[in-house]
Amino acid sequence: MSEQQNNSGNSSGGCVDGGFWRWQEYHRVLSDKLWSSSDVITAGIDVGSVGSKAVILVNGEVYSWGVIRTGSNSPESAIKALDWAFRGTGLKQSDLKYVVGTGYGRVNVSFANKALTEIACHAKGANYIWGPQVHTVLDVGGQDIKAIRCDDTGRVTSFLMNDKCAAGTGRGMEVFADLLKISIEDIGEMSLNVSEEPPPVSCTCVAFAKTEAVGLLRKGWSKEKVLAAYTKAMAVRMSNLIKRVGLEPALVITGGQSKNVGIVSRVETVLGVKCLPMPNWRKDGIDPTIAGALGAGLYAKTLYDKTKNT
Amino acid sequence: MKDKKVEPKKIMSETTQKEIDELKNIIKAASEQVIAQTIERLKKAYPNRPKEMEYFDEIANLFGKRAKELGQAKAEGKKIVGYNCIFAPIELILAAGAIPVRINSGWYDTSKLGDRVVPVEVCSIVRSTIGAKMIELSPFIEQSDVLINVLTCDGMTKLGEILGDYKEVWGLSNPRIKDSAQALKFWSEEIKQIKANLEKLTGNKITAKTLKPIILKTQKASRAFRRLQSLRKGNAVISGRDAMLVNQTYMWDDIDRWIEKTDALCDELERRVQNKEWICPPDTPRIMVTGTPMFWPDNWKLPRLVEEGNPPGILVADELCSSERILYDPVGIDEWTMDDMLNAIGERYLLACTCPCFTSKDGGNKDRINWLLTKAKDNHVQGVIYYITKGCMLYEMEYTRVKRALDKANIPVYYLDTDYTREDAGQLKTRVEAFIEMLNAQIDII
Repeated sequence: MSEQQNNSGNSSGGCVDGGFWRWQEYHRVLSDKLWSSSDVITAGIDVGSVGSKAVILVNGEVYSWGVIRTGSNSPESAIKALDWAFRGTGLKQSDLKYVVGTGYGRVNVSFANKALTEIACHAKGANYIWGPQVHTVLDVGGQDIKAIRCDDTGRVTSFLMNDKCAAGTGRGMEVFADLLKISIEDIGEMSLNVSEEPPPVSCTCVAFAKTEAVGLLRKGWSKEKVLAAYTKAMAVRMSNLIKRVGLEPALVITGGQSKNVGIVSRVETVLGVKCLPMPNWRKDGIDPTIAGALGAGLYAKTLYDKTKNT
Repeated sequence: MKDKKVEPKKIMSETTQKEIDELKNIIKAASEQVIAQTIERLKKAYPNRPKEMEYFDEIANLFGKRAKELGQAKAEGKKIVGYNCIFAPIELILAAGAIPVRINSGWYDTSKLGDRVVPVEVCSIVRSTIGAKMIELSPFIEQSDVLINVLTCDGMTKLGEILGDYKEVWGLSNPRIKDSAQALKFWSEEIKQIKANLEKLTGNKITAKTLKPIILKTQKASRAFRRLQSLRKGNAVISGRDAMLVNQTYMWDDIDRWIEKTDALCDELERRVQNKEWICPPDTPRIMVTGTPMFWPDNWKLPRLVEEGNPPGILVADELCSSERILYDPVGIDEWTMDDMLNAIGERYLLACTCPCFTSKDGGNKDRINWLLTKAKDNHVQGVIYYITKGCMLYEMEYTRVKRALDKANIPVYYLDTDYTREDAGQLKTRVEAFIEMLNAQIDII
């Protein structure tokens, strides 16, 4: 297994320009797998509002991936994410038999054979990562929260999506990271670093919650306590969405916020259930952030096989 | 009927006529463009679109042919009666020699103007209709001599008061418990009052002799309408948007002409059924929409997202008071006496209606659920979209019961809430497409 992080620019902690919201771009190759020209290589590209993810699959098995920040240009982000996934694999675009685009910018993946929504793809990806026992998926993306119900094969049976407000989403967390001057990757841990859980902030609207947080800081609350109050409010909002769609165990969380232990543990507390354990993505497990792109890659394999059979 | 002096432009008293005219011209020009673009889009989306749709395309221009005809009729001394709800007894309006036109607004831009008068939480249709009146945009509202305002929900009730600043408004109150002993009696009295008002307005007495041919006419319209809906039961020969457009034009078109053109369209569609000339591949997911009414021209967002989605679906049925509910039930007459005709009109508007403003003695709007389940079965519906615009509380709240019934019947349903805005199109697209993908997965397309 090889891993590389993007050290260009100010991605590490982002303290140079105050960009505390910046999370790290990276790519990975699962090196115990190899590919040959006779293999079916497919890719899934998930162009989200905040992050773009590309996953390469060899015969329907995850081989490599790349995670980058979505720039202002979606088509370019798609290509860039794919390039990151290709790093260290020797693969190139012409080796791909079938590509499925997904996410907010799915129509902008110019080289994709088909576009599918991230809802279908996250369920499929979660099914691959955790197995058939997954029946409820909470995908917390950059600007959307989706609660998805699926069957043993990862097919969507029902879903709900938040409205156009950014409350409870990754973007909302970025705003808080910047406000409190804490790296986005640390805020989950920090939010748990309180002796007693404070009441959730009353307003989940990012703009108003920010005002409320400033007020709490002035009142003498610690950063940890403010984070705990905001994270709790977000977790309640997510849990309500899950309750509305109907929670059927096992529950998993995908998307960028799956790495926020503050969110995950609070969702578990509110709902009274445990999520399936997070794969050890820093080592040899699959990163739940890429679930959408992974699902797209799996659908790409299925769709490719279909074209072969007809 | 009182001869009250109506003071005009009360709700925008601070605005000069010049400003009103400017706003009107801008929004009107934009709206004409939207109408033309929407029709062009339909033509492009369906290269084999039925030829007979051409007529409805023309009538779809709210500022075009029909508006001029109304102006002419008015100049000749005819009265025009605007109405906000399909409970308004069209037969009586016609029998009095007046012309009925529905006035609910589908303009997004005018809903922003309505925000100056009522809070944004108020239903988009109400806000938009107020806004349309503020800038004198709608030829139908402007040319109406009076408005019949049916008090179906809170928004509509107060809409009548606001519009009353400009025009004479007749409130028409419907009972809430449809099957109570008093309901029909109460409603009949309301209908009789409208009849008396209409006679006074037009100077024409409504008699058995004048009413009978009108009832025969609307029965004929109902037959043409039902013929169109039944053509949507098999493989699709017409898009949902075109069917909705035909249904909706009934609300302002000349009825005799509408019947003739709808029958001509049905003839064409029947030929297409025989030639197996489908409007989309037969495995396209078949969708029914229910909920808040969708008004031409701007609020055609959802049908477009469904039918031009990736993957696309096809609307094969709806349960909207802006479309399939308009004419579904004809007036049923036993004897052609005046009493019987009036009773039949009352029953047709009250008992047949599935609007969530009703409940029943045992506490549910069962008629709506039965209607949905029957339609879903007859039209081979694979999924239902429950469509809501913000502030449409009756429909919002009835969702739970409808969902329970559809769940039981194993029909997937998706709740889609939006507003009179273009800004959420990307989000809605994902939601609609994910729902269609879900239906596709059930039939193994993905």
